[in-house]
Amino acid sequence: MMTFAQQENIGFRYVINKLECSSPYGQARVNRLRFFDADEAEELELQLRNICAVRDTLAELSFHYGRLERLMMPMKDIRRSVMNLEEAQLSELELFELKRFLLQTELIYPVLEEVKAKAHIQGIDIPAQTEALKLMDPEGNRAATFFISDNASDELKAARRLKKELEEKLRRENDPDARAKLTAERSLAAGREDAEERRIRKELCIKLVPYKNGILSCMDNVAELDFTIARAKLAEAYSGVMPEFSDGAVMMEDMINPRVADALFERDRRFTPVSLEAPVGATVITGANMGGKSVALKTLALNAMLVKAGMLPFAKKAKLPLFGGIFIVSEDLEDIDRGLSSFGAEIVQFNETIAQAAETKGISLILLDEFARGTNPEEGAMIVRAVTRYLDRQRSVSVLTTHYDGVAGLASAHFEVKGLKDMDMEAVAREIAASSGSKKGADIIASHMNYGLYRAQGDESCPRDARNICALLSLKDEILNDI
Amino acid sequence: MLREYIQNVHSLSIIGMCKNAGKTTVLNRLIAELNEADVRLGLTSIGRDGESVDLVTRTAKPGIYIYENTLVATAEDMFRLSDITREIVYSTGWPTPLGEVAIVRARSDGSVQLAGPSMTSQLSELMGLFASFGAQLSIIDGALSRKTLCAPAVCEATILCTGASYSRDINAVIDDTAFSAELLTLPKQNSFTDAQLDAELACKVRFRRENGAVEPMPDDITLAQALTSREYAGVESAYVSGAVTDAMIKPVLMGGAKLKGFELSVEDGSKLIISRSSYEKLMIRGVRLAVRRPVRLAAITVNPVSAYGFDMDRKLLLERMRAAVRVPVVDVESEED
Repeated sequence: MMTFAQQENIGFRYVINKLECSSPYGQARVNRLRFFDADEAEELELQLRNICAVRDTLAELSFHYGRLERLMMPMKDIRRSVMNLEEAQLSELELFELKRFLLQTELIYPVLEEVKAKAHIQGIDIPAQTEALKLMDPEGNRAATFFISDNASDELKAARRLKKELEEKLRRENDPDARAKLTAERSLAAGREDAEERRIRKELCIKLVPYKNGILSCMDNVAELDFTIARAKLAEAYSGVMPEFSDGAVMMEDMINPRVADALFERDRRFTPVSLEAPVGATVITGANMGGKSVALKTLALNAMLVKAGMLPFAKKAKLPLFGGIFIVSEDLEDIDRGLSSFGAEIVQFNETIAQAAETKGISLILLDEFARGTNPEEGAMIVRAVTRYLDRQRSVSVLTTHYDGVAGLASAHFEVKGLKDMDMEAVAREIAASSGSKKGADIIASHMNYGLYRAQGDESCPRDARNICALLSLKDEILNDI
Repeated sequence: MLREYIQNVHSLSIIGMCKNAGKTTVLNRLIAELNEADVRLGLTSIGRDGESVDLVTRTAKPGIYIYENTLVATAEDMFRLSDITREIVYSTGWPTPLGEVAIVRARSDGSVQLAGPSMTSQLSELMGLFASFGAQLSIIDGALSRKTLCAPAVCEATILCTGASYSRDINAVIDDTAFSAELLTLPKQNSFTDAQLDAELACKVRFRRENGAVEPMPDDITLAQALTSREYAGVESAYVSGAVTDAMIKPVLMGGAKLKGFELSVEDGSKLIISRSSYEKLMIRGVRLAVRRPVRLAAITVNPVSAYGFDMDRKLLLERMRAAVRVPVVDVESEED
């Protein structure tokens, strides 16, 4: 699986941080994400369909969702208290929180049932905990406070009545000696009250034990509901789609990477959606420098990860297997810190990946970004060719980006970034000349770059855009003419 | 009646010049008076207070006795030290060493132990919570030397408690209390707008020039250096975020800067941690000291009985205190004021 740094690198953490849950239960789901295993597709599909159902009704049922969110918002995570009910040690404050939670279930239930019927959500149930609530609110006041009523026991009633009488007397008594006597008597009554309240609280905990599992299940379902609404809102914001599960091949149309898209948007540029089809075996992406090959790879990694984490992929259409493992091999600073060269680190990482993928249940996604770029081109190309041949024979989906010639032909599929192929070089050169400074030049090239991925037609050698880019970025003439 | 001095006030803080200044006596007296008048109260403290034996000096202290329907915000561990019948109405989620702070409605009379939140933002939020649960007046009990903290800033009015426990020397009691009262009741600053003070500037001091321009004072020079430099000659007022200390003021006084008409302001009076002599010198040099949040000092209470075994002349203390300040002065014990 991916390291945290890699999750950050592909923009996965960026997406996760955008999830806004209302309750601590939902937030706990975000903090401890569950990654679905290859054999858990059925449950995953149920969750994803629920997300779609909520997303499709966000506008129509906005009032209902808003109400559900507001009902979940004041909740506190009291699972631990509930799990320890048998010990009968819950404090007043814990019982207060428990009562509040039970009250919320009564309010949530009818709203949720209406939403479920209208939006066709399945498998999320938060039944009103009326029976458990009756124990905590025997008089049915439904007040959002915790108070043991005088009627809870004769002893409590008697102790409180006595205490109250003494308080009334104290209010009127001014003589210090008489006051001291009354205060002492009152202390005894207060002690009786306290002991009896303690007993009643214990008894209440024991009476609640039979409802424990029901309450805990409500909490799990609140988490699922909250998490589902948050995921649906995110899917709405970045155009998530219900994926179709395949038994191997990947077919993604117009994928988005929100982190890159948002960064571009801030600079007034648009993200070019990535479309890619990768069969079982190896797929190679070639193309110009600055052409977005790495972004394409990260975007695929991101969207496969999102599905694995129970979220909708951001794409127009998505067909992919529920991957057992998702691996990305790229230059990793941590490994370099460990004292390996970037090339050495890559080889070690690749070995680990192959070993882990073999151990993982189901099909894996293996992504290699410019593998072996750090060594001499001749040997590098040979290594990448051998790796491609190897990966093409494996029952995994592997996608490689490379600059090396003679690799693409060895893979089952070949895509290329159009890059500067269709660009009017002279027009761009004039545009750059009209502006000033080489930094702007890079932006101008970027604005003319065709970031689209296309299935390569016949020609399998890598494009020769590097010299053009050097020229446009005004590399020293002396050097340029010498290339 | 103490109550007379806080009419139309919705939030009140009670702070002491020292321990055993009679703060709890004042609080209990107020609670009783307000109960008579059917005013529904919200009570809390900054941190822990209200122990029946003073934890620092081991002297007997009066407990806080409240009446039915009073709201109390206190940490969970304090519940077992209270003997009111409790109805828990709200949990704040604010942790303290003594447990989470919860709001409780008293369903009977009884004594309580207070241990409230200690952050300004929490105290300020609590005032709103009390009001939403029906309190007509919220009272914050300040703790030992928390005078330098925030209680006055979040309340509409303050009662300052002083007395024989502060010093054996009556002159010290009078002078220092009067000085504290002076600092607490500085006028409102009028050089900066709220927006100018709320703007995020990474500096401790911000200046306003004659032409109205506001700018941060660079952190690598001192206030004294800035005020004598030609570059900052046009600065006519300064606002200091955080505390103003003698270490900052003394060089200014000695630096020979022209200070007449200069306004120096801070958030509230508790941020001025300067000696009386520095204060007086600033006044003589014509500096206008001001605050962003003026405090209304409703009254000063005096307690002639010291917890350390020596008492002062009740009448003399009261008379001299009255002569030294412009706010009402009340004897904590005596019924006739």
